[in-house]
Amino acid sequence: MLRRSNAVGVGLKYFFYGVLAIIWIMPILWMIDTAFKPSPEIFTVPPRWIPSYLTLEHVKEVLTKWPFVRWLINSLVVATTATLISLIVSVLAGFSFARLQWVGRNFVFITFLSSMFIPWQVNVIPLYFIMHRLNLLNTYPAIFLPIVAMPIGIFLLRQFFLNIPQSLEDAARLDGCGSLRVLWHIILPVSRPALGAMAIYMFIFSWNEFFWSMIALQRSNMLTLPIGLKALQGAYDINYGLLMAASFLAVLPALIIFLVLQKKIIRGIAFTAGKG
Amino acid sequence: MLKTGLFFGKRGHRSQIEGLLFILPYAFLWGFFLIWPLAYGFFISLHKWDPLRGSKFIGLANYVKLFRSPIFWNAFFNTFEFAGIAVPLIIILGLVFALLMQRMSIRGGRFIEASLFFPYLLTVSIVSLVWKWLFDPDVGLVLYYSSRLGLHLPTFLADKFWALPAIAFATAWWLAGYRMVIFKAAMGDIPPELYESAELDGAGGYKKFRHITLPLLRPAILFALILTTISGFRVFGQVIMMTAGGPGRSSEVLALYLYRRGFDYLQMGLAAAVGFILFVIILIITVISFRFLGFESRL
Repeated sequence: MLRRSNAVGVGLKYFFYGVLAIIWIMPILWMIDTAFKPSPEIFTVPPRWIPSYLTLEHVKEVLTKWPFVRWLINSLVVATTATLISLIVSVLAGFSFARLQWVGRNFVFITFLSSMFIPWQVNVIPLYFIMHRLNLLNTYPAIFLPIVAMPIGIFLLRQFFLNIPQSLEDAARLDGCGSLRVLWHIILPVSRPALGAMAIYMFIFSWNEFFWSMIALQRSNMLTLPIGLKALQGAYDINYGLLMAASFLAVLPALIIFLVLQKKIIRGIAFTAGKG
Repeated sequence: MLKTGLFFGKRGHRSQIEGLLFILPYAFLWGFFLIWPLAYGFFISLHKWDPLRGSKFIGLANYVKLFRSPIFWNAFFNTFEFAGIAVPLIIILGLVFALLMQRMSIRGGRFIEASLFFPYLLTVSIVSLVWKWLFDPDVGLVLYYSSRLGLHLPTFLADKFWALPAIAFATAWWLAGYRMVIFKAAMGDIPPELYESAELDGAGGYKKFRHITLPLLRPAILFALILTTISGFRVFGQVIMMTAGGPGRSSEVLALYLYRRGFDYLQMGLAAAVGFILFVIILIITVISFRFLGFESRL
């Protein structure tokens, strides 16, 4: 008796969770479905989940008529550069805040940290003129320079560095290591979870940047993926076969990376939460 | 005595310079691209800004003009409405998902967690396009299936009243999974002994949630609330792509209003003023939350 009711319970549980998951990713399934459906079957009532045949016409049009691959590369370059620069400057600053002694340290740290609540998007108008004067509009640096000094980064790294035992550092100092070597040989090797978490956070953040990119990038060849998709929407309005194909292509990298690194990504994000 | 004093003095001097050198790259980027634009933006907002023909200082006239404009107030209240709907939705869904995931002890859990989390990895443009398609008034899935269930729902994005809530819902779909991961991590930090001793006292699921989980999650929830609220107030991408502020101006939010003033009408001074107002709103919200919700211990 007991065992049977247990089995029913487990079955119900599976059913409930399964339904929840399917409803939640339904929009993505429908996007993929639409992307490979022949045009006449897209706008039907009732909606047809199973098309009479699969087609690559939409995908082909996106890839041949638009610099889609270029947009993908632009996005990758911007997000990678932003992540790298952000890691470098935040590691140096976080190290200084956590492990070096200097007057005014905590005051400066709190000043940096409180800027976490400045929504830097409100700066788009002044940034536009600053970047114009620097002649950087329509370039990669225009996008990554304003987002690399992420306060959450120094907060996270400082917190992690603080917990590394002092004895390790002292031994190295006695051997005559300077601060840079301590950072490189002692601190960084044990900080991989923090570095990974921050890299994931920063990459997603810059990959998603929309408002400022839309203003700073006007030339079709320089667009990042989010802005490129906006341009497609402007050109095709409600041609959903094409728009969904483009969306699908834009999701593909994220999907592949996620399928491979799911555990690491979720753990990394949970890590930023635990400390922030 | 003197010698050690000198020694420490020298060493102190050196480590002072070293400490500052290490923060220099960060401080430069921070100052030049985050703080300076803020000040410069305020400066612009005090002008009838025209870099080509010369700008004219007009004091607070841009602000006065905004405060007298019903279109500005419309965007102002729309922004509050959006945040008022999206933020609780994101937090509650995130919390419910985290609880479900925590209690789930079946195989295949990873797949379910992945499905709930994955939308977060989409960019805002994809979220907007997909939901615009789902909400399509003629052949969208949402209206079709709801009418099959006997519900007569409004046309969402094409409806003056429902456009903003629909955008808020799509936003919650996008971001709830992220909050789920964060809340679940915070729940993982709660010592299991607390639950065990509560069970010994005969506490059921709800009581455990109400008296253990919720109080201990309070800091995490409040922090999430602040961050989500801030991002809610600067909403832009979803709106410009899903409704472009329409129908009429019924879903025009402050960031979109700023964009239009600046780049459609080239009223840069006015747009900068909107930006600064947005900054002040968010500043006030942050300060209030820190004061009244008690966050001193977070640092």
